[in-house]
Parts: sequence; C-alpha cells; structure tokens
Amino acid sequence: MRHRVTTWLMAAAAVAAVAHSYSPALTAQTPPRGRPDLQGVWRAWNLAKYDLEDHGAKPGVPAGRGFVVDPADGRIPYRPEALAKREKNYAGTKDPDPWKNSDPLVKCYLPGTPRMTYLGWPFQIIQTPEYVYFVYEWGHKKRVIPIGSKTPPPTDETAWMGMARGHYEGNSLVVNLTNFNSYTWFDMAGNYHSDALQVVERYTPINADTLQYEATMTDAKVFTRPWTIRMTIQRQKDIGLLDYECTAMLDELGIHHTWPRDFDVDH
Amino acid sequence: MSTRTRVVLSIAASTMMLAALSISVLGQAGAVGRPGGLAGVDGEAKSTAPAGPVPRRSDGHPDLTGTFNGSPGGVTHTVILEEHPGGFGVLGGQSLILDPADGIIPYQPWALTERNRRREDANGYEDQVGHCEFYDIGRIHSFTQEYMFSGNNFIIHATQHITRIVPMDRRDHLPPGIRLWLGDPIGHWEGDTLVVDSTNFNDKPRMSLGGDFHGADAHIVERFQMLDANTIKWTMTIDNPKMFTRPWTMTSPALMKRLKPVPDFDVEDTCHEGNVDLVHLKNTYEKAHGPGWPPKPVR
Repeated sequence: MRHRVTTWLMAAAAVAAVAHSYSPALTAQTPPRGRPDLQGVWRAWNLAKYDLEDHGAKPGVPAGRGFVVDPADGRIPYRPEALAKREKNYAGTKDPDPWKNSDPLVKCYLPGTPRMTYLGWPFQIIQTPEYVYFVYEWGHKKRVIPIGSKTPPPTDETAWMGMARGHYEGNSLVVNLTNFNSYTWFDMAGNYHSDALQVVERYTPINADTLQYEATMTDAKVFTRPWTIRMTIQRQKDIGLLDYECTAMLDELGIHHTWPRDFDVDH
Repeated sequence: MSTRTRVVLSIAASTMMLAALSISVLGQAGAVGRPGGLAGVDGEAKSTAPAGPVPRRSDGHPDLTGTFNGSPGGVTHTVILEEHPGGFGVLGGQSLILDPADGIIPYQPWALTERNRRREDANGYEDQVGHCEFYDIGRIHSFTQEYMFSGNNFIIHATQHITRIVPMDRRDHLPPGIRLWLGDPIGHWEGDTLVVDSTNFNDKPRMSLGGDFHGADAHIVERFQMLDANTIKWTMTIDNPKMFTRPWTMTSPALMKRLKPVPDFDVEDTCHEGNVDLVHLKNTYEKAHGPGWPPKPVR
C-alpha cells in the first residue's frame, strides 16, 4: 500500500522540536521551606471577568461591584484621551463573528495577565525553590516564574502574559511582570493597556483554602496613575485540572484559524 | 526578534516546504536510514554528566526530576510510528512498536482504513498540530519533557502547552462522562517503575502526523523506568477492543536522555497567535474536498 506524507507535517514537527527544546531545570523537591505554600488548584469565583469596575447589568452579564481598590473611587484612572478606545473596544464585543469581534479572547488568544487569573477557569500552582509554575486549565497555558533571578528579562522580546520575575515577601509571592505586548485586555468590558504596561501581582494565603490576590497596573500611556485590584481566590477540592482546548472549539464550530493576524505588522 | 516573530517565521518556513514538494513514503522496504526505536540513541539528545546510579527520593523511589528528550536527533516517528524509510526532512526508522513482534499496529480493518485516509496529503489539514492544538500523550515523547514531583503529583511538562498532572494517591478514574484530550492519568509505583494508568479520553488526539489514533475508549498504561541517572525508558501499552485486535505496546524513538537545563527561561506558547500560514493547508484541503469544515467524525 502506498502512503503519502506531506512535508508540512514533518516541518511542523521540526518546528515543534526546535521551539520547545528548552525549559528550566528543577533539581529539588517541594514544598519549599520557609515560604508560603501556595500549591494546589485554585479558582476565582467572581464577576471580575465581566468588568473590573462597578457595573450595571448587560446582556448575559450580572450587575456587580468592581475590584479596583486603589484609587478609592473604584474607577480605572484612564487618561481622558484613552477612554474612547475602551468604549470602542466594548462596542466591538457585540459582533458575533469571531473574525470581527474585538475581544482578543474570542479568537482564543492568550488572555494576558492578570485577566487569566479571574477568567473563571481553575489553575494549579506548583512551587519549587527555583520556580513557581502556574498551570491554567484554560487552553492548558502555563507561566513559569523564576524566583530570585539575577537576570533581567530580555529587552527585545515581548510576551502576551508578560515576562515574569518573582520573589517572596513575608507570606506573599510577588511577581513583577514586564515586556507586555499591547494586544490583551483586562476584562470583557474592553478595559485595556498599552505595551508600556507593568504589573505587580501579589499572592497571599489568608487561610488554608483562600488566597488574596492583588495586581497593580502601571501604564503611563493609558493611565494617569497606577491602580490596584484585589480579590479572593478559592481552593478547588472536588476535582483537579481538566482541559479547555479553546482553539479546538473554534475548529469544531467550523471557524478556520486562518484570519489575518493584524498585530504581526504593527510592531 | 520576538518569540512571536520566530514562531511565525517557523510556520511560514514549514508551509513553503509544503508548497515546494510532497514526497511519497513507500510501505515496502526502502532505504531505511538511521534506526529508531530503542536501537537509535546516538542523536543529539546527549546527557550532560556521566551517568551515575538512579537518584532516589526520600521515600526510596527513583527521582525522575529533570529535563529529558526521547528524540534520536531528528524528526522521525512523529510522522509514522511503524518502520519507514527516510525522506525529505524525516529520518527513516525502525518501528516503535515493541509488541506485536511484527511492529505493525494491530488495527481492526475499519480503523486501518480510517488511519490511511487521515494519512493522505489532502487530509493533512485535519491534523490538530497544524492548528496549534494538543499533541497526544505519546507524541510528546519525541520532544523535550520536564519531570517533577509536587505534593502527591508527578508532573510532566511538554511541548505545545501540555502539562500532565498525575496524582499518585488516587484510586478511581473520573466518571465516564468527563472526556479529556490527554485522558485522566493516575500514577503508582511497581517496584522502581512509575506506572501511569489513563482512561477518559476523547476521540480527538492523533498519535502521529501519519494519522494514527487510539480512540476515546482506550485504556493506556505508561511505564517510566530509570535505567541510570541520565536515562529513562518509556513504554506505552494501548488497549481498545473497539479499534484494535489486541493490546499493543510502543516506545519513544530513542531512550529518554537527560538534557542540560537552561536557567530563567520561559517559552510562551504563542503557536496559535502567530499561526498565519494555516491558510495554505486549508487551500490544499479545499482543493481536494471543496469547502467544508470540520470533517464528519468517524467512530
């Protein structure tokens, strides 16, 4: 029998072999001593994914309180000229065609940080002395946080989830994120940032089954001052991580992944 | 150059090769190149230190922690699991099938017909890897993996956003209504061998670029056996009476060899975000089949 195999398949495999042939080392067992134990499966059960600010009901969206604790008025401190883009972003989310919908999440792009945290899917934290791993059920995405690294992130690389450097402060894990691109949002309300974004995340256990999560955003191109969100995240006990292969679901809906990637030309 | 840009360029390069030519791999004996299977361990996956005795965890079991790669140094069996000659971009190799002894996957006739249909050029667009979706749990053993333990879990980090979290302290699999791309793994020790037992698959993963598949009702048992400090032998036994005439066992293209780690390195998986050239594969598919997606599932 004659079998035909296309070269793209081999090439794709070669690409995968090259692109993923390196990853950090782990030489020690867990959990680390003298540091907060954050390990386990966690989930944010709240309305933050809809809108980080106080909001009324919208189609499919319950009304609710926001999560901005600084500034005290609970509003994201947009520069006046930057607010119009948020409104345009939100208006674009009403288009049911994923090719045209403005929310990058609809095309299954990486949600960015901190949006991934409160997207509503669970995630698992794995700690070693050298790294903290965040493994997310959404798309099975993964963040690797070097702890106490002396090497700054490269200056010529950007990342959808930001590039991370972590350390412990008392009972908290603190993650400094830089090198963002400008393509991710904070929520379904169109809140956004530029490539000048810097994020400081702070994970603090407040009892055995609850984490306090804080994230402070600084982006002088879009905001007049830094702003901070705060929420609690609950331990998920009944089941571990399952899977949510977002891109495969687009396929099954008959949506080809062949739209032009406009962000490939503007940077 | 950003990580994203590199991914785009890589995919573009692969598509250009598609446009340039496609080759035929003949089923009968051809010019078999460097052998695969456990015979071929002379590739680039070199160990970083003289192999010592198997390291142990505090509980006495082997400590598999580290970075390992099961490729003999080129692209081989992600394409075809059975014996195959070399061709453009692919090393020839012996069959990865250890059992049955003839090295042929014991498909039932209907499943073999479906496997061969998937292997056709024009159907290459169906393969999930070109869409930046999951590899199956065997396919990842041709690439680099990172093993660690966390609490009662054995963790496998692998290519294409795969992380397998294997609980070592669970007895029962998930209810049958929960179906997963990578299955529901449960680990245990048999002597010094770490055994991972998986069920609850969905019917989506493909085991190779050549269209092999194991079906949703597969019961898969993997064995991770440390041969020395830098070497792990991995085998996978697949049982699914609805698809195969008997259980069968395969291994990785080469023994899993320890790699030197890279410090402070985090590769963000942006395959989907930068996948700008999939349209060419879609064009090939539609030239053969006309517009229409997804293809009807075959059970």
